[in-house]
Amino acid sequence: MQSSRARLFKEYKEVQREKSADPDIQLTCDESNIFKWSAFINGPSETPYEGGVFQLAFAIPEQYPLLPPQVRFLTKIFHPNVHFKTGEICLDILKNAWSPAWTLQSVCRAIIALMAHPEPDSPLNCDSGNLLRSGDHRGYKSMAKMYTKLAAMPKKA
Amino acid sequence: MDSEDDMHDANDLESLDDDFYSGETGMGSDDGDGDYEFGNNASDDSDDGNLNRQQENYTVLSEDDIRQRQEEDITRISTVLSIERDHACILLRHYKWDVDKVHEAWFANEESVRQTVGLYENPVARTFSRELLCGICFERHPCDRMCAASCGHFFCYSCWRGYVSTSINDGPGCLMLRCPDPPCGAIIGQNMINLLASNEDKEKYSRYILRSYIEDNITSKWCPAPGCEYAVDFVMGSVNFDVSCNCSHNFCWNCTEEAHRPVDCTMVAKWILKNSAESENMNWILANSKPCPKCKRPIEKNQGCMHITCTPPCKFEFCWLCLGAWTDHGERTGGFYACNRYETAKQEGEYDEAERRREMAKNSLERYTHYYERWATNQSSRQKALQDLQNMQNVQLDKLSDTQSQPESQMKFITEAWLQIVECRRVLKWTYAYGYYLPENEHGKRQFFEYLQGEAESGLERLHQCAEKELQTFIDSSGPSKDFNDFRTKLAGLTSVTRNYFENLVRALETGLNDVGESGNQPTCSRSSSIKSGKGKNGKTRTIGGTTSRSLDDGNHSHWSCESCTFANTKSSMVCQVCHRRR
Ligand SMILES: [Zn+2]
Ligand SMILES: [Zn+2]
Ligand SMILES: [Zn+2]
Ligand SMILES: [Zn+2]
Ligand SMILES: [Zn+2]
Ligand SMILES: [Zn+2]
Ligand SMILES: [Zn+2]
Repeated sequence: MQSSRARLFKEYKEVQREKSADPDIQLTCDESNIFKWSAFINGPSETPYEGGVFQLAFAIPEQYPLLPPQVRFLTKIFHPNVHFKTGEICLDILKNAWSPAWTLQSVCRAIIALMAHPEPDSPLNCDSGNLLRSGDHRGYKSMAKMYTKLAAMPKKA
Repeated sequence: MDSEDDMHDANDLESLDDDFYSGETGMGSDDGDGDYEFGNNASDDSDDGNLNRQQENYTVLSEDDIRQRQEEDITRISTVLSIERDHACILLRHYKWDVDKVHEAWFANEESVRQTVGLYENPVARTFSRELLCGICFERHPCDRMCAASCGHFFCYSCWRGYVSTSINDGPGCLMLRCPDPPCGAIIGQNMINLLASNEDKEKYSRYILRSYIEDNITSKWCPAPGCEYAVDFVMGSVNFDVSCNCSHNFCWNCTEEAHRPVDCTMVAKWILKNSAESENMNWILANSKPCPKCKRPIEKNQGCMHITCTPPCKFEFCWLCLGAWTDHGERTGGFYACNRYETAKQEGEYDEAERRREMAKNSLERYTHYYERWATNQSSRQKALQDLQNMQNVQLDKLSDTQSQPESQMKFITEAWLQIVECRRVLKWTYAYGYYLPENEHGKRQFFEYLQGEAESGLERLHQCAEKELQTFIDSSGPSKDFNDFRTKLAGLTSVTRNYFENLVRALETGLNDVGESGNQPTCSRSSSIKSGKGKNGKTRTIGGTTSRSLDDGNHSHWSCESCTFANTKSSMVCQVCHRRR
């Protein structure tokens, strides 16, 4: 508990210090609870998510960083490895391939990489996984793009 | 008189089978029953005297044995490859404790082995500074408060401890623990664990290593008996899978179910599945259902009313109490709604349990029940015999040798008898699973099977009774009895006779009952021909006995039957091998 606080505080300070280090990631810590974080990540370019801004929610266990944080998408996203309803993410480093040397920042980077390189063979979103597996890249892209527009782009009022 | 005849028959069979046996059996096949040979192993199992017989095709390993073997393997690899023991252990674990594979892979391409296993020779990261940033807590620490695996990625002790402890408490996966630096695959060995883990975790870790030696190794398995800590190392390729653990549990090394010779693993799996599928059904059905008197399908009563209508297409209407047609109900039975025929019938003995059973045997469920009941009964009977055997060895033999004023070494025949009973109950039990799966239309085989099974079973009952009841009188008696030597002769004779019956049974089942109608040795011919004459069971026994012994007496004078114990001795011996009576 104590060491997880200390470590999270280091990450917090690092984030404050290098706010502009990665323009695609904006990590913020809940001011009242250091175990609750959220992030805004930019959809990677040359993907159907380009131009979208996606919000992630982090729930951090007391044994962090020995155990991984729980991360999910708050913004709706059409992606084979993200549960369409719950936003749950299927990513090995958030499960058995976790290492305490990872940080919340590097987790965000890994999620951005996953958005650019979906793994249709371990789908959480079957519709999306099936489109990709059957080779219908156009179908997948147009669906993903549509949801990016609907859910991840600021409404121009 | 009857029993003497039977014993005689069995000895005849044995004598003829002697040649058969020596010619045909391989290393493994005579261990089951053939083990309990008179006098042969009187000396080699003297300490514990339990069922433990070490065979050539397997070795029972205690925890100490396992550790010793493991140490030896590690020493071999460490010496031959000139590497640390810790690294040798890592390599062996990776190659599932196959020493030859480690050698082969290492000498083929050491560099590639080091890469896959994560055993680096030169640290990829090296540092000469005094203080370093730990990649987990992000604090700076003096170098002597930090350590690294073979890769040279330094983390502070406190973070390492958390990392190692989390992994060890997560299960045996900790044996594959790697450096926390994400892309680095350097393996964490036991030396490092010992440096970083708590005593409790070290203990857990070393147990995982011990377990891995048995569980990852394809030639070894733990004994499946609850609470048993022995493992069995098996010589791969052996035909006979029956192994006997030092805890006295006999099991099949292949499927780890209890030993099931002469039935094969597939049939055992089928039978066990069947039992588990039926077990819930069974009790419920026996309590709540009866066979329809017309079509024999089990009908459950789910209403209070006694008027039952069978399911379509049968639709037979009958009375639940008397199983008579509902149309017969009326004045005679006390009216449609009150049946007293059940009571009357019971009084008159018309619907005795046996008849009901016999009728129900046509029904498939009842057929299963028939075999299951006998399978289960022999199972519990074996359990009881095993307890009796232990009690005999721990308490009774001592007492007996006192009352009879004979040394305990002279009581070996009693242990032999009980061992035989335990083994026979096991075999008999599995023959009921065999019987269930033997197709109904294979009449010749079924008759032959039931004949052999019946002979074996009645032999066993005689032996069991003798070892249980008659022996008790000698234990209870106040002083030495003149009859004790006669008793010895009788019990030893019954043991030998029963063993022969069971050997015949096992051999016949293992060869798929193919002796039926096959030419070859004489008893086989006479057996099958007399069976084909299709008499009742008792008549059949006589015929076979007669034919067999005639063929022995008339055609083949290589044996003589002892007048006292009926043992079939070879012609060359002038004194009976069992009771030492002169010819
Ligand atoms: Zn640290
Ligand atoms: Zn490393
Ligand atoms: Zn055991
Ligand atoms: Zn088996
Ligand atoms: Zn019916
Ligand atoms: Zn009635
Ligand atoms: Zn004799």
